[in-house]
Amino acid sequence: MKKKALKKLSVSVISVIAAVSLIAGCSSSGSSSKQPVQSDAGAGTTTPATAKKDPVTIKVEVFDRGNSPAGMTVTNNEQTKFVKENFTAQTNINVEYIPVPRSQEVEKLNILMASGDAPDIVFTYDMNTVYKYVQQGGLTELSEVIDKYGPDLKAFLGKETLDTGIFDKGQYAIPAKRVYLGKYSSMIRQDWLDKLSLPLPKTTDEVYNVLKAFKEKDPGGLGAKNIPLGFTLTPASYEPIIWSFLKQGTEEEQYTLTQQVSHENMLLMPGHKEAVQFLNKLYNEGLMSPDFSLDKDRKKLSQDITNGKVGMYSEDAGNSYFNDGDIDVLAKNIASAKLTPIDPYTNEEGKHAKPAYASTGIYIIVPKNSKHAAEAVQYLNWMAQKDPMFTLRFGVEGQNYTMVDGLPQLKDDEATKNRLYNAGDMIMISNGTDFGSLDKNLAGMALTYSKPYRDESKVALMNGMQDGIKPVRFDHPLASEAKYGKSLSDKYEEILVKAIMAKTGDFNKVYDDGVKDYMASGGQEVLKERQEAYQAMKN
Amino acid sequence: MGALQRYMMRYWQLYAMLACPIAFFIVFKYIPMYGVTIAFKDFNFFQGIMKSKWVGLETFREIFRMKDFYTSVRNTFMLNFLDLIFSFPAPIILAIMLNEVRVVWFKKISQTILYLPHFISWIIIGGIVYQVFATHSGLVNEVLRIVGIHAIPFLSDKHYWLFTYLVIGIWQSAGWGTIIYLAALTGINKELYEAAEVDGASRLKKIRYITLPGMKPTIITLLILKMGEMVHIGFDRPFVIGNIMVREYSEVISTFVYRMGLQSGNYSIATAVGLFQAVIGLFFVIAANYISKKTTDQGII
Amino acid sequence: MGTRTKYGLLDVINLAILFVFLLLCLIPFFHIIAISLSSNAPIMSGKVTIFPMELNFDAYTTVIHDSTMVRSLGFTVLLTLLYTVLCMIMTIIAAYPLTKTRLKGRKFFMYLIVFTMFFGGGIIPDYILVKELHLLDSIWSLVLPSLVNPFYLIIMISFFNSLPAGLEESAEIDGSTFVGILWRIILPLSMPILATLSLFYAVNRWNGFSDTLYYITNPDLYPLQLKLYQLIINSSSPELQLQEGANVAQVMPESLKAASIMFATIPILVVYPWLQRYFVSGIMLGSVKG
Repeated sequence: MKKKALKKLSVSVISVIAAVSLIAGCSSSGSSSKQPVQSDAGAGTTTPATAKKDPVTIKVEVFDRGNSPAGMTVTNNEQTKFVKENFTAQTNINVEYIPVPRSQEVEKLNILMASGDAPDIVFTYDMNTVYKYVQQGGLTELSEVIDKYGPDLKAFLGKETLDTGIFDKGQYAIPAKRVYLGKYSSMIRQDWLDKLSLPLPKTTDEVYNVLKAFKEKDPGGLGAKNIPLGFTLTPASYEPIIWSFLKQGTEEEQYTLTQQVSHENMLLMPGHKEAVQFLNKLYNEGLMSPDFSLDKDRKKLSQDITNGKVGMYSEDAGNSYFNDGDIDVLAKNIASAKLTPIDPYTNEEGKHAKPAYASTGIYIIVPKNSKHAAEAVQYLNWMAQKDPMFTLRFGVEGQNYTMVDGLPQLKDDEATKNRLYNAGDMIMISNGTDFGSLDKNLAGMALTYSKPYRDESKVALMNGMQDGIKPVRFDHPLASEAKYGKSLSDKYEEILVKAIMAKTGDFNKVYDDGVKDYMASGGQEVLKERQEAYQAMKN
Repeated sequence: MGALQRYMMRYWQLYAMLACPIAFFIVFKYIPMYGVTIAFKDFNFFQGIMKSKWVGLETFREIFRMKDFYTSVRNTFMLNFLDLIFSFPAPIILAIMLNEVRVVWFKKISQTILYLPHFISWIIIGGIVYQVFATHSGLVNEVLRIVGIHAIPFLSDKHYWLFTYLVIGIWQSAGWGTIIYLAALTGINKELYEAAEVDGASRLKKIRYITLPGMKPTIITLLILKMGEMVHIGFDRPFVIGNIMVREYSEVISTFVYRMGLQSGNYSIATAVGLFQAVIGLFFVIAANYISKKTTDQGII
Repeated sequence: MGTRTKYGLLDVINLAILFVFLLLCLIPFFHIIAISLSSNAPIMSGKVTIFPMELNFDAYTTVIHDSTMVRSLGFTVLLTLLYTVLCMIMTIIAAYPLTKTRLKGRKFFMYLIVFTMFFGGGIIPDYILVKELHLLDSIWSLVLPSLVNPFYLIIMISFFNSLPAGLEESAEIDGSTFVGILWRIILPLSMPILATLSLFYAVNRWNGFSDTLYYITNPDLYPLQLKLYQLIINSSSPELQLQEGANVAQVMPESLKAASIMFATIPILVVYPWLQRYFVSGIMLGSVKG
C-alpha cells in the first residue's frame, strides 16, 4: 500500500518537474530576450545627434507600492504607455522601468549599487544614502549635462532647490521640488466646544483649559473613554506642541543644537524640557491618549477619532480629509460631530511656530557607471515641460478631467483613478503639483480630498504652513548624523515616552537620565560635529 | 588497493548521490563566502568587496564599544533561553495531547487549525496584539476591568512584556511545531501500546514509557539545532511585539543589526555581527552535539 | 487502536485545553476574514471583530478580477511545486549516504554542511553570484540558492537513523544496491517525514519573499507574498503620501488587504490536510517486516 502511494507521488513529481522545467525555460528565455536592447546602446553620451538616431534604452527606477489597480503593474500602465508615445517618439529613447518596493527602497538600492546593476535613474528620500554614495565616488556629476540637456528642468526646479543637490561642491543629485511645505495641522471638535460655549483656543494655555473642560464636563458623554487630546508616538502628534515651547535662540544655536536624525530633533534647544513637562502634565491628568506609546501607525488614533472619542489632535496637514478618511467616517458614525481645523499652539513671541519641510523632495541620482546620463537628464527635462507633466499628473482633458477656474477637476471614475494611481511616483522631479500660485496649489491639493470638506481642508493646509520654520542645514550632511541617526531617533522617542509617562515627581530625573543616555549614544558626537561645521561655515 | 576497490564497488553509489548536494553547497554557500571579508574592510559600494580597503578588526572594535550591542546580545540570550524553557516543550506537549485524542475527525481538524497562526504574518499579528493587550484599551484589560482587576501593562512593562512575548510566540509556533513530532509519533509501533494496555498501564505511564521515548530522537535533534540558534533571533517577533517602553528587553541582535547596519547601508557592521553570531552558534552546536553523544549516544554530526 | 477504554477525566481535560487553544488560533483568522468582508467605515472605527459589518464581497471581486494577482498565484504555485520537488530530491540523496557510518569522509561532509548553517557571505555576494549565473529575473533564482536546508537535512538524517537497522542489513545481504534499498525500503517507511519536510519546504517558499525582493524585478514574476507584503506594509498610507508631498492619494482599503491575505494564504493551508493521510496512516513497523 505504501509503495503504491510512493509510486503515485513519484509519478506526479516527475510530471511536475517536466512541466515546470518547460515553463521555466519559456519564462527565462522570455526575460533574456529583453537584454540585447540595452547592450547596443553604449555610445549614447557622445552627442545628442547620435542619441536621436540610435534607439537607446534608459532604465528608470519606479516605486512599487503594491497598489497597482487590477491588471496593471508599475512597469506597464497608462502612464508608461504615454511615456512611450510621447517621450520615446520624440527622442528615440526607450524607457524601461525597474520597480523597487517602496518599503525596501534603500535596501534594494544598496544591492543594485553594490552589484553595478543600478538603473540609469535612481532616487531615494534618504539624503544620507546619497551622501554615502557621493563619498564613495559612485555618482555622476551632473552640472554639465543639466546645462546641456536640462533647460526646462532647471527652470522648473529653480536654483534654490537645485542647490540642495550639491554635495562636496558637485551637482551629484537632482532634488525634486516640493510644492507644499506645510507639515502639521490640528483639528478640534467644534460641536464639543459649542456645547460648552467655549471659543476656539488660541494659545497653548487655552488649549490646556479646553482639554481640561473636555475632560471634566465630558461634552461627548463618554465617561472613562473620553480622550481630550488624541496623541500618538509620531512627530505629527508631539512636534506641534513641542515647537510652541522652544525659545527662538541665536543662529548659532539653531545650527548647533538641532540634530537631523530622521526628523529634526530639538532635544537640546532651550524650552524642550518644558514642552515635555507640559505633555507629562497632560498625561498625568488623563488628558491624552493613554496608550499613545503603542500607537506606532496611528491606527488607534483613527479609531478613536472616528468613534467620536477624541476632542482634539494634530496630524500631517490634511490627513483627515481624504476620501473615506477620518472626517468622512466620523460623520457617518456620529452625524452631529464636527471637526474644525485650528492652529492654536503659540510660542513666546506669539507665533504659531512649527516645523516645515525643506523645498526639497526626493533625491534623483545617476550612478557613475551609467552610460546614459545625458538621456537620463533628457527624460527628466521632458517631464519638466508643462504639457507632459500635466498629462502625467492629470491624464487627458475630457477623458480624465475638465478645466474649471484654471484647475483640472478630476473625474471620479475608475478609468481616471487607474490611470493616475502612481502619478506622484512617475513625476519624480516634483513632489506635489505647482500651479503657479499658493491659492491654486492649495485648491489643487483640496481637489484630492473628500468633496464636502474641500474648502475647509484649505484652512487646514494654510494652518500647516503658518509660521513654518524650514530646517537649517549645512552645505553637506554630517557623518555623525548618518551614523547615529536611526539609533538617536529611537533614543529620542524613548525619552519622550518615558518622560511623558513618568510620575510628576520623577519627571526631572527621568528626563535628565534620558538626555544623558542620548548624548552618550552619539548625541555628543553630533553636537561636536555641528559646532565644528558651524565654525567652518562662519570662517 | 584491493580493499579500496571493494569499498568503492560497494559505496560509489553513495558518493554519486552526495555529489549533487555537495556541489550545491560549494556553489551557493561556499563561493559567496568571500563576503565575510566585508567584516574586515571599509566596504565601498562601488569598489566592491574585493577592492575595498582592509581595516583589520576596526569594525569589531567599533561594535564592542557600543553599549547597545551588549544589551542586544544579553537580550537575545535571555529571550532564547526563555523560549527554550517554555516554547520548546510546548509543541511536544501539544503533540502528546493531540496523540491522546481518540476522536479521529477532531484530531485531524485540530491539527489543521492549530497551525493557522503560523500563516499570519507578523505585521498583522502586531496589529492584533495591540488591540488585545494594550494597557488601557486592550481587550484583555477591558475584561479584567469588568471583573474588577487593575489593568496589566502587558506591552509597556518590561517584565509583563516578557510574558506577552512568550505567550504570543507559543501561540504562533506551537501548533506548527507539532507537525514534526506527529511525524515522529507515527513511527511508534502500535503493538507497544496494545501490550501496555494488556499490562494495565495507565495513560500517563504509556505517555512516559512509550510516547516520549518514541519522540526522543526528534526532540534531541531539534534541541541540538536549537542550541546552535541561541545567539540568532528572528527579527519580526521582537520588533513587532516590542515598543519603545520595553526597549531595554526587546532590543536584540537582529534589530540592532537592522538599525546600525542594514538600514544605513553599513554592511561592515552587519557582516561583523553575523560573524560573531556564527562563531558562537557553531561552538554551541558542536558542544551540544558532544554532550548529547556522551549522554544519550545520539548526535547530529 | 485501543478505543475500548472509556473516556476518563484526562480526556475531558485534554479536550478542554485543546478546545481553548483551537479557539485562540481561530479567532485572529476570523478577524481577518471579517475585515475582508466589511466595508471601510466600521473597519476604520475598529468595530469589526470576528463578524463582518456591512457585509460585502467587493474586496474579493477585486482580487479575483485582478489578472496580475491571479497570474501571481499561478506563478507561486508553480514555483512552490518546483522548489519543493527539487529540494526533497536533493535532501533525500544527501541524507541517505550521510546515515552510513562506514562511509569514508562522512564526518567531513557533515561538517561541511553544518558550517553553512552559520557562515554565509551575506546578501551582496549572494546577489552577485545569482547575477553571474544569469539567474536574475528567472524562476531559478528563487529555487537554486536554497535547494538544501541543512536543518531539514539533519532532521531527515535523524529520522533515517531511527529506522530499525535490521531491515536494511537483510536487504544488503540479499545483494540490493544502496539505491535500491533507499527506494524500496527506506523511502516507503519514511512517508511521514517526507510529507513533513515537503510541507516545510513548500511553506517556506510560499511565504518567503526576501529573496524575491532582490532577485526579481519583472512584475510578471512577483510571487504572491511580495505583492502581499507591499500591500500590508502599507507603503501607500495617507501619512506616507503626505510626508512625501505627493497629492494623488490612492490608498488601499483594509478590506482589500485582508482579502488579498486570504487569497494568498488559503492555497497553502490546504496542503497540510492533504498531506495528513501520510501521518494518520503512519506505518506500523511490525507489519512491514513480513
